[in-house]
Amino acid sequence: MAYYVHTYSSDWCVIKDQIEAAWIYHYYNMKGESMRNWLNALLLLLFTLVLTPAAYAATDAATCLGCHSMEGAANVNQEKFTKSVHGGMNDCTMCHMVLKGAQHQGLSGGKPDKGLLELAAAISPKSKVDPIAQASCVNCHPDSYQTYKASVHGQNVIVKRSSDGPVCTNCHGSPHYIQPKASKESAVNHFNIVETCGKCHEEKFMTDKYAFSSRVMERYKESFHGRKLKVGHKNAPSCADCHGAHDVKSAKDPSSPVFAGNKVKTCAKCHSGATEKFVAAITHKPMHPIAHWTELALIVLTMSVFAFICIHVLLDIFADIRERLFRKGDNHE
Amino acid sequence: MNKTEIPTEIERFDLSARIQHVIMFTTFLLLSFTGWGLKYAYQDPASAWISFWGGAKMAGIIHRVAGITMLLDFIYHQFYLVNQFRKGGMRPTLIPMPKDVVDAFHNFMYFFGLRKEKPNFGKFNYMQKFDYWAVYWGMFIIGASGFFLAFPVLVSPLFPLWSIQWIWDVIIAMHSDEALLAIVFILIFHFYNEHLRPEVFPMNWMWLTGKMSIDQLKHHHPAEYEHLFGDKKEK
Repeated sequence: MAYYVHTYSSDWCVIKDQIEAAWIYHYYNMKGESMRNWLNALLLLLFTLVLTPAAYAATDAATCLGCHSMEGAANVNQEKFTKSVHGGMNDCTMCHMVLKGAQHQGLSGGKPDKGLLELAAAISPKSKVDPIAQASCVNCHPDSYQTYKASVHGQNVIVKRSSDGPVCTNCHGSPHYIQPKASKESAVNHFNIVETCGKCHEEKFMTDKYAFSSRVMERYKESFHGRKLKVGHKNAPSCADCHGAHDVKSAKDPSSPVFAGNKVKTCAKCHSGATEKFVAAITHKPMHPIAHWTELALIVLTMSVFAFICIHVLLDIFADIRERLFRKGDNHE
Repeated sequence: MNKTEIPTEIERFDLSARIQHVIMFTTFLLLSFTGWGLKYAYQDPASAWISFWGGAKMAGIIHRVAGITMLLDFIYHQFYLVNQFRKGGMRPTLIPMPKDVVDAFHNFMYFFGLRKEKPNFGKFNYMQKFDYWAVYWGMFIIGASGFFLAFPVLVSPLFPLWSIQWIWDVIIAMHSDEALLAIVFILIFHFYNEHLRPEVFPMNWMWLTGKMSIDQLKHHHPAEYEHLFGDKKEK
């Protein structure tokens, strides 16, 4: 047992030694000693458990994972964490600056500054567990943060304090497991981002609350862009290629790449020579009734021809069988 | 040459027509295979199928090259027809006639045992005419829409302003649904008639030889036989 703990962390090793010491103390004093000694031993044990971390102030990943790799609410998968882009960061308190609960007494990292605390307060409707940790991405990614803050998502979350827009983790996933964007496992990978956007944009509240087209995702997915992306075309545009990512804006915002006046330029990124008339080819609006009924008519036509030729072929076969069975040697040529 | 002799076989398709047919079905198969992957992109095997064709980009290139080749084949066929006409002796054997409707009706009666004999088919029966003109339908609907989809920037100025809200959806539906129709038609009708019928299985060799035996002609195209050799029947 002791060796098992040793493998985890040197700090745990120290704790374990102290626990053992306490038990040895307890064992030798039980014989003929009073209840007070037993209580002393217990106190020593508790003292050891609570104060040892404080004494060493160990906040490296290995120490934290000693507890936080166990099954439970605040469980981090060590293997996945190590392989993530943040796997090399060894100090959990870089993000988890303020730790709650007696078990963390005396543990802390950098002190969150005023800006971070304000941001944490702003995103607290989005982050029930640890808003400071969730806000702390901005410490290392200030540029992305500034871009995001100006976006429709950032404005919605930070300024309007809505619980609707995404914070970093809503799109990128848990910071413990973030993969490089080029990885197939990344939630913001070129081929995965449509699903990631769809987590919210496929929902009905987007239509009701923000007057979005009710079929945004469906219409994109059935478009040539969506289909090509699905079968692995690297140049097929995902949501972010036209709408932007951290800098996504409302289409009503003149700075949005899909604002009426900017569409020509945006489409021309791939379709050189795009014109006003051309850009009308792509919308995410529900199908126009004319297109809808034309498609239906074509389906009816296809089905009718299909039915006709099937019946024709079957009748032909049956007639052939009948001829061979009953009119053999008859007046045929 | 003894003019009174009835030959043992006659040529129905000359070399040019046979080559046109080979180009047509090769490009048709390539178009069907690559297009299928995109039409059913959200069905599971699509991605694997597309990577079999060299990935999405390569499949797209194959589709476009095959499409343009097929269109050129079709255009060439129109010149071929004009040339045949100029050479003279071309009869309107492929033009749908009222007789075809009657033939179809009689054929169905034969299917149900209400007539003893198959209709008195001409050089091309109504099914073969249907087969032939289906290609024209496909060329105008699928070929044109495919061309529009391949060069959207180029063709977008052609569409009137009031149509741009729906025209592209119509074009996509035309291309995709009619392609399905073409595939289903070939797979069932053409494959049955020219490959699976016990008489021709595994295939009707006419696509290579261009020739049909006189017995076949007499049996399946009696009116044509009558037209060609009616006066020499009794030798």
